[in-house]
Amino acid sequence: MNLNNISRRSWLQLTATGFGALALHELVHGAQSPLAVKSPRFPAKAKRVIFLFMSGGPSQPDLFDPKDYIKRMHGQKITAPVNTNELRVGTDKFLALATHGEVKPRGQSGMMISDLLPHTASIADEICLLRAVHADNNQHQPAALQFHTGVTADVRPSMGSWISYGLGAENQNLPSFISIHPDSDTRLYGSSFLPAAHQGTKVVIPSSDKQSPIDYLADISGDAKAQRARIDFTQRMNKRLLDQTGADARMEGMIESMETAFRMQMTAPELVDLSNESEATKKLYGIGGKDTDKNARACLLARKMSEAGVRFVQVTMGGWDHHGDIRNALPKSCVASDQPCAALIKDLKSRGLLEDTLVVWSGEFGRTPWSQDLSGTSPIEKHGREHQPESFCTWMAGGGIRPGFTFGETDDFGFRPVSGKVHLHDLHATILNQLGLDHEQLTWRHLGRDFRLTDVYGNVVKEILA
Amino acid sequence: MNRFFQSLGIVMLALAPARAGDGMAFFESKVLPLLQSRCYECHSHEKKIKGGLALDLKSGWQTGGDSGPAIVPGDMAKSHLITAVRYADPEMEMPPKGKLSASEIEIFEQWVAMGAPDSRVKQTATKAARVIDIEAGKKFWAFRPVRDEQAPAVKKADWPSAPVDRFILAKLEANGLSPAPDADAYTWLRRVSLDLTGLPPKPEDLARFDASPASRAAAVDRLLQSSAFGERWARHWLDLVGYADQIGTSNNVFAEHAWRYRDYVIDACNSDKPFDRFIREQIAGDLLPATSPQERAANITATGFLVLGDVEIVAVDKLKMEHDLVDQQVSKIGSAFLGLTLGCVRCHDHKFDPIAQTDYYAIAGMFRSTEATYKTDNGVWSSVHKTELPETAKQKAERELLLAANEARIRPWEAERDNLGKEKAALEPQIVSARKEAKPDLEKKRDELAARIKSLNGQIEHAKFFAPVAPKAFAVRDGEKPADMRITIRGNPYALGDLVKRAVLRVASWTEFPPIPEGKSGRLQLADWVADERNPLTARVTVNRIWQKLFGEGLVRSVDYFGARGETPSHPELLDHLASRFVQNGWSQKQLIREVVLSRAYRMSSAHNPTAETKDPDNRLLWRMNRQRLDAEAIRDSMLAISGKLTPSSGGPALPLEFPENVSSISPKAVNPPAFSFKKMRPIQDFERTIYLPVIRTATQPGSAKLRDVFDFTQPAQIAGKRAETAVPTQALFLLNSDTVRARATEVATRLAETEANTSARLEALWLRILSRPITSVEREDAANFLESLPAEKAWIELSHALLASNEFMIRL
Repeated sequence: MNLNNISRRSWLQLTATGFGALALHELVHGAQSPLAVKSPRFPAKAKRVIFLFMSGGPSQPDLFDPKDYIKRMHGQKITAPVNTNELRVGTDKFLALATHGEVKPRGQSGMMISDLLPHTASIADEICLLRAVHADNNQHQPAALQFHTGVTADVRPSMGSWISYGLGAENQNLPSFISIHPDSDTRLYGSSFLPAAHQGTKVVIPSSDKQSPIDYLADISGDAKAQRARIDFTQRMNKRLLDQTGADARMEGMIESMETAFRMQMTAPELVDLSNESEATKKLYGIGGKDTDKNARACLLARKMSEAGVRFVQVTMGGWDHHGDIRNALPKSCVASDQPCAALIKDLKSRGLLEDTLVVWSGEFGRTPWSQDLSGTSPIEKHGREHQPESFCTWMAGGGIRPGFTFGETDDFGFRPVSGKVHLHDLHATILNQLGLDHEQLTWRHLGRDFRLTDVYGNVVKEILA
Repeated sequence: MNRFFQSLGIVMLALAPARAGDGMAFFESKVLPLLQSRCYECHSHEKKIKGGLALDLKSGWQTGGDSGPAIVPGDMAKSHLITAVRYADPEMEMPPKGKLSASEIEIFEQWVAMGAPDSRVKQTATKAARVIDIEAGKKFWAFRPVRDEQAPAVKKADWPSAPVDRFILAKLEANGLSPAPDADAYTWLRRVSLDLTGLPPKPEDLARFDASPASRAAAVDRLLQSSAFGERWARHWLDLVGYADQIGTSNNVFAEHAWRYRDYVIDACNSDKPFDRFIREQIAGDLLPATSPQERAANITATGFLVLGDVEIVAVDKLKMEHDLVDQQVSKIGSAFLGLTLGCVRCHDHKFDPIAQTDYYAIAGMFRSTEATYKTDNGVWSSVHKTELPETAKQKAERELLLAANEARIRPWEAERDNLGKEKAALEPQIVSARKEAKPDLEKKRDELAARIKSLNGQIEHAKFFAPVAPKAFAVRDGEKPADMRITIRGNPYALGDLVKRAVLRVASWTEFPPIPEGKSGRLQLADWVADERNPLTARVTVNRIWQKLFGEGLVRSVDYFGARGETPSHPELLDHLASRFVQNGWSQKQLIREVVLSRAYRMSSAHNPTAETKDPDNRLLWRMNRQRLDAEAIRDSMLAISGKLTPSSGGPALPLEFPENVSSISPKAVNPPAFSFKKMRPIQDFERTIYLPVIRTATQPGSAKLRDVFDFTQPAQIAGKRAETAVPTQALFLLNSDTVRARATEVATRLAETEANTSARLEALWLRILSRPITSVEREDAANFLESLPAEKAWIELSHALLASNEFMIRL
C-alpha cells in the first residue's frame, strides 16, 4: 500500500479494522474507505458467508460417499487408478477399507449421510452435498492454503479478505472478516497485498477468565485509571508532535488507532459473551456438552457475528486427520462438530438468516477409500486413511444454493470424479457469484499483474444454484 | 472396454470411404452440437481458448493447443481429444466437470475414425499472437545501458553539498519548489542512527555531536563501522530471500543450518563485501575458486540464497516438486537482482515485458542442472541439500574436542540404559511367577525402569543427532548431468515442448552469452551476467533499494518491479548517477550509503509544507524528507537499547534445538522429518537483536519475536523489497498492553532510579534515551503533573511506557 496516495480520511478509516470504532466512523462518515459498503456487481443471493473448516480432512468414504465395491473388497488388494508419479507411504498395499458405520438416505432427496452425523442427517433437506470436489495438493499446509487463498504456495489474500475487499463491511463497528480458532498458519486469514483492513481478525473464545479473545487485550497496568492517564499522556505528546510537523495522515491514524484499541478492551469481551442467548439456543448448539462445548460456542458466536453483519466468519474445527485407527477416532471427531454445525443451520433458518447467509462446510481434502497403515503390521480394522485431494465432499447451505441436492459422482472406488467435478477454483467462483461478485472481475494489481482469488481458472457451478 | 471401442473404430474406418457428404452431414448433425454444447465454453474464440486450443474452427484442432494437434484424422490413439474425452489420462480429462456419456464419446470416436470431416470454412479472426520483439524491448528505460550522468547546474548554488543534491534541487527548481530547511541536529542524528543501525543514538553520542560537517562524517563512519550496521542491513536482504529457520511450510521442519547463511549476510554487510561479489557467491559460490577454508565455506554458505526460501519438501510428485523449486529460483533471481517478475513466464511469454518463454527456460535449465533437494528416509519427505564446510585446522581441533566431550557425555547414559535394561529383563520372569499380591509392586518397578530407559534413549538420540560433527550449510551443487531444458507446457513437467539452450534474458544482454563448459550447470556464467556492470538492471535495482531504505521511497517506487507496468523513476538521471557511482566505487554499499546520508537532501526536515504539498502531494520530487515508521526489528531493538538490556550476539543457531523438549521426530526412519516446537527459549533470546531470533514461516513468531507479526514483518514465504505498512489497532494494543513493552518500560525506570539523583535529571535522561532529544519546558511540566498523579512505585514505569508508545518514538522523523 502506498501511504502517500491515500487521503487523511481514508487513512483514518484504515485504522477502523477493530471493534468499537464507532467514534471513528462518525469522524470519517461519508468517506470512501476500504470497508465502506460496496454494491455487488450483480444482484446477490447471499450477503455473508460462514465457512466451517474441518481441518485435517474428513473421511468422505465413511461419511458421505460409500462404495459397494470397496465394501465387497474390504481387506483385499484393489487396483486403483492412481497417479504413479506419486510416492506412497503406508498405502502401497492398496487394501480396500469398508465404510465404518452406516451411510443411509436422508430427508426427502435421500441424500447419503452417515449415522456418525445424526444432526447433519437431520438437516439433509437444507444442504447441498458436493461429492466430487477436487483440489491440487495432498498435504495439509498447501491444501489448506489453497482452500483459503486459491494457491498451494506463496502468500495471497484469503477468500474472506477478497470478499471484504469486494463488498466492504456491513457493520462499520466490526471487522469484516473474523476467524474463530484458526489454524497456526497466519496466511489462512491474511490479506497479503490487499489493504490490511481486509485481514481476518483472529478470535479465541476464552476457556477461562484469564484468556482474552484477542491478543494484548488485558490492561498490563492492572489499574484502569493509571492506564488511561498513561494513554492521555502519550496522546498529548502525539498531539504536540503533530502540531509541530503539520498534517500527517500516518500519525493521525496512529492516534485514532490508540483510542480504538482502548475501546476494544471493553467491547471485545462483550463480543464473545454468549450469556444473552436463550437456554434453548445454547442447548441446540450443545453448549455445556462434554465434547461439543468448544465448537458449539464457536458456531453460536459465528451466528452472532453474522447476524451483526460480519461479512465472512470462519470457524475452524480440527481433529479430522485420521491416518490410523480411523474406526475408533472418527466417531469422536464427528461428535465434536456434528451438533454445533447442524444447529447453526437450524438457528440461521429460524431467524430468517439462512436465506442470505451462505454456509460452507469442508475439509482441505478427503481421505482414500483404501487403507493406510504406517506401522505395516496392524490388522485392517486398526488402519486409517491417507489424504485424498482427487475427490472429497463439501456441503453448502443457504445463500441461494439448491437445498436437498446431491451433486457429483465418483468412480467405483470413490477416488476420481466421474461427473459434477468441482475444483476449488470453481467453488471459489461460486461463492463469489452468490455474493454478487464476478470472480474474473474482482482483481487487485500487484507487481504489475492483476491478481484474482481464482487466478486464471474457475467456473461458477450453475447446477447447484437454487 | 478399449477393445470394444477399437472394434468400433475399425467398423467406422470401413465406412469412411463412403461419400464425403455423409461425413459432413454426420459432423453437422452429431459432432458440431456436441462441440458447441460441451467444448466451446472453454475452447472457442467467443469464450476462452484454454490450453491454447480452439475447437470452433477446423484449423483449431489441426494446429491444436499446448500439447499439439488435438486430432490426428483416422488415428484415435494419437488424437488427444479422444484421450481426453475417454478420461484415459488423469492429467487431461475433458470436459473437466464430468465425463461425457458413452454415446457422446462414441460420436467423437466415430468422427475421428472417419477422418474428422469438418465443414466449417468460415475463418474466425484469430487473435494475433503477441510476438516478443527483443530489440524494441531494449528501448524501454530499464533495459537501456546505465549512463554516467553528470550533476546538473542549479540556481541555489549554496544548498548542495554533494552531487546527489544537485539532481534533487534541479528538479525542485524546475517545478518551482524549494528544499525544506535542515532538520535540527538531534533529529538528524536519530534519523541516521536508526537508518544505518536500527538503533537510536546513545546519550553520549548526542553529547558528542555538534552538527559540523566533520562531526556528521565522524558519526556516519562510526555507525557504518559498528556491527549494528550489518545487523540491520542484512535483514533488508533477507526480506528478498524468504529466509526462515524452517524448511518449507509443513510440519515445522527445522532448518538447523540456515543461520549460517544469515550470519554470512551480516558479515557481508559489515565487511562491505563488494556487491557484485556478493551476487556471484549467492548464485554460484560453490563454483568459485577460494584461497582459504573460510572463503570456501563462505562461498558454499552463500548459495543458501537459492534454497532458503519457501521450498516445498513434502510433495509426493518429486519431479513436479523439483520443477517448482526451479521456478522459485528463477523467480528469485528475477526479483532480488533484476527487478523483474519471471514466475509467470514459466507458462507463457510475459504479457507485458519483453521476456519470452525461451528466456525463462534458458535460465531454468541452469537450475534444473543444479542439485538442491534429495529424498530422505522419512515417508514422502525430501530435504534441502547440505554441503559439508571446510574447516581450518584450528577449528577442526576445537570441534573434535567438543565431539569427544559429547561422546563422553553419552557413554554413561548408554551404560545406565543397558544396566536398567538388564534389570528390567530380569524382572519379567519374576512378575510372571510372582504371587498375586506381589505383582503390582513388581509391575510398578518395571514400568519405572521402562520410563527411565525411554527418557535415556531420548537423551542419547538427541545428543547423537546434534553431535558437533563437521559443520554443514544448506547449499546447492551442480548436478551430475547438466543439460539444457525443455519448455514445460503450462508448467506441467510431463508435457514437454522445445529444448531451450541455456542462456540469459536477451532483452538485458549486450553480447552473446558465452558457451557453458561441458558438465557445468551454467550458474557461474549466469552470475557473471547478473553481476556485470553492463547489466542494465542489477546496479539500478540495488541502488534504488538502498535509496528507498534511506528516503522511505525508491526513486522507482515499485522497488521489486522495473518492468512495463512498474513505475518510472522520479529522477532517472540521479538513478543512473548512483548506479554508475556504485559500480565505480567497486560496488561498495557502505560508500554509497555514506555519500547519500551526508547529502544535504538527507538532512532536510520532514515538516509539512502546504504550498509544496499542493504541487507535489506524494513528495516525489523530495521537497522534504519522508517520515518512516520504525520496522518491527527497529522497534524491538531500540526498546532494548534504551532499556540497557540489549545483549550483543555473535550469531549462531537461532533455534533452541539444544533443549530436547523442543525437538521431535529425530529418528531417521520416522514417517515425518525432524521438527521443532518452542516449549523453551534461551533466556538470552529476549535480549538479543531481532535478526538473531528464529524466523518461522507458518505460525506466529516465537517468544519476544512475536512483535514481528504485529508490525508488518514480511511473511517469510514472500519476497518483498519494501514492507507493507499498516496501522491497525492490534499495534496500539501491543504498545498499550504487551508484556514486552512493559518489561522495557520497567527496566528504563529502574535504570533511571539507579543513575539519576533527582526528578529533573531523570526527566532529562528519559527524554534523551527514548526520544534522543532534550525535554521541553511544556513537557517537563506535563510530566511532573503526571508523576504526581500516580502512586510513586509505578509513576516512572508509566511515564517510560507512555513515551515508548508515543508516535515520536515509533516514527523516525
